[in-house]
Amino acid sequence: MLTLAIPSKGRLKDNCNAWFTERGVVIEQTAGARGYRASFAGMPDVEVMLLSAGEIASSLLAGDIHLGITGEDLLREEAPELTGRMHLIKPLGFGFADVVVAVSAYWIDVATMADLDDVCASYAGKHKRRLRVATKYAQLTRQFFALNRISDYRIVPSQGATEGAPAAGTAEVIVDITTTGATLRDNGLKILDDGVILKSQAQLAASLTADWDAESRKACEALLTRLEPSGPLYSTLAAQLPR
Amino acid sequence: MPAFPYYDGKAIEALNGQAVSLLGLFASRGYGREEPAVLQPAEIFLDRSGEEIRRRTFTLMDPSGRELCLRPDLTIPICREAVMSKRSFPARIAYNGLAFRHQPGEPHRPTQFFQAGVELLGLEDRAAGETEILSLVVDALKVCGLSDFTIRMGDLALFNALVDALALPAGWRSRLKRHFWRAGYVESLLYWLGHGDGKAKLPGTREEIEVLIDARGDAPMAGRTREDIIARALDRAADAANLRLDAKVADAIAQLLDISGSAEESLTKVRALLATAGINLDPQLAAMDARLATLKSLNIDPARVQFTAHFGRNMEYYTGFVFELWARDKEGPVQIAGGGRYDTMMEMLGAKKPVSAIGCAIRTERVLAAKRGGK
Repeated sequence: MLTLAIPSKGRLKDNCNAWFTERGVVIEQTAGARGYRASFAGMPDVEVMLLSAGEIASSLLAGDIHLGITGEDLLREEAPELTGRMHLIKPLGFGFADVVVAVSAYWIDVATMADLDDVCASYAGKHKRRLRVATKYAQLTRQFFALNRISDYRIVPSQGATEGAPAAGTAEVIVDITTTGATLRDNGLKILDDGVILKSQAQLAASLTADWDAESRKACEALLTRLEPSGPLYSTLAAQLPR
Repeated sequence: MPAFPYYDGKAIEALNGQAVSLLGLFASRGYGREEPAVLQPAEIFLDRSGEEIRRRTFTLMDPSGRELCLRPDLTIPICREAVMSKRSFPARIAYNGLAFRHQPGEPHRPTQFFQAGVELLGLEDRAAGETEILSLVVDALKVCGLSDFTIRMGDLALFNALVDALALPAGWRSRLKRHFWRAGYVESLLYWLGHGDGKAKLPGTREEIEVLIDARGDAPMAGRTREDIIARALDRAADAANLRLDAKVADAIAQLLDISGSAEESLTKVRALLATAGINLDPQLAAMDARLATLKSLNIDPARVQFTAHFGRNMEYYTGFVFELWARDKEGPVQIAGGGRYDTMMEMLGAKKPVSAIGCAIRTERVLAAKRGGK
């Protein structure tokens, strides 16, 4: 049995269903499963599970499912080092969003990460504590700040409404996801010129640590060939699976 | 070493024996042993040491929701206690205990290891402090029975003084100093300095800046004052207007950063370059000479002493003289001790005035491994 998880709600779910339908794969609700189980018409070897986008990322990392569709932001946050753990099979062309560094628009002297570095350092010198960055993307933030050689800051974990942190006084800077930037603007924030950490979209991803027995490999090959008949989707994945 | 070391009877005996010798030596030099708790409130490490240490610190929540951590080093809790208990200075403190570090991407490195070390706090005579610590670490390895090691030295003060001697805006000077320890990045900053950073779009007068800020009056101030922002915006505008570094001087710095090798030869090269660039750093160079003389008086072969101009420990709190001692175990070169000056730490931890600080830590398990498997 091949297990594949798709988002259980919201626009991601609708886009996902449409994507499969366009490729002639029809999702059928399994009776009595309260909407958390489904299957593909004519593909009895594939079990479809409906999970939250975050659960899909962590289940892929844990090897609990073979395939999953979720945002690349969540995958990269869950597993900063994808090699050997996950394989991104295909970007799906929906669920676009950017993970960005944003500061108060009041900071008219700050436009770039280099400016932020200056401000972090002088803030640490003046206040004897580090500038706080609110985010639910701790891993992505650490990587990106290290890449930009910024060390004088600390991360404050945030679950939801991150954009309100600077106004609430719980953090000075945020790293958050945005599609149009409207929410950030409404909260008096601006994205730094070179502050785009990740241009994310929905990805069809495979767990490399799942139990890939002969049966699941066969079902996966059939599914990927159906989704993209002329593409090398399965062979690229198979090259990374343990022998 | 495995990620989760297991100490058998023999290993315990060897470690204990070595610890008794080390602590005995430290005591004979006036360093009394102290021991901070293994489990620490997380804030002091997370607020004071930046994200690099945070990334490697094991944190956990206690049942009441308070954030705790396993101490990633003993220096910070020891210094904090010295601040809190209002110790009289100079204070000499020794320790021997476990430190805990997450090793991201390096699953074969141990997540816990023993460190034996000393902290010398509040000794005004810096040269004397450096001589004392260098002598102590060399003697400590001698007491452990390890004589085959090399020493790498550097001095962040040398670089800072060099930058201070340059005709550069203050913002650029502090940026260069801050990034000293990141190889490659300083070089690209120097390049920017030669060519401007192309971002000179800000208005130059206070009035223009205030108009811009007032247009953003509804946005959060986010921890900074209006004056902070105006001052920095003015600085930047001034920077952009006169951001140029004489090519001869920029070249000299780039070459200077490249210098690495035997300490005596390296310092000769440093002097020649400074003479070319017309920069006088005699006090800093004299301090390096004094350290070399100390090592010579300890019978360390000068061939074993290396100087690396852009050597800075990958720890964010060192401020001046830094050193590492290296030996070989059966797998290759291994750092067995390290230390340096961290003169801003005590203030970061709440001291009301600056307190000079220098210390070193010995990785005792690696010393044993180097003795066993050296060559």
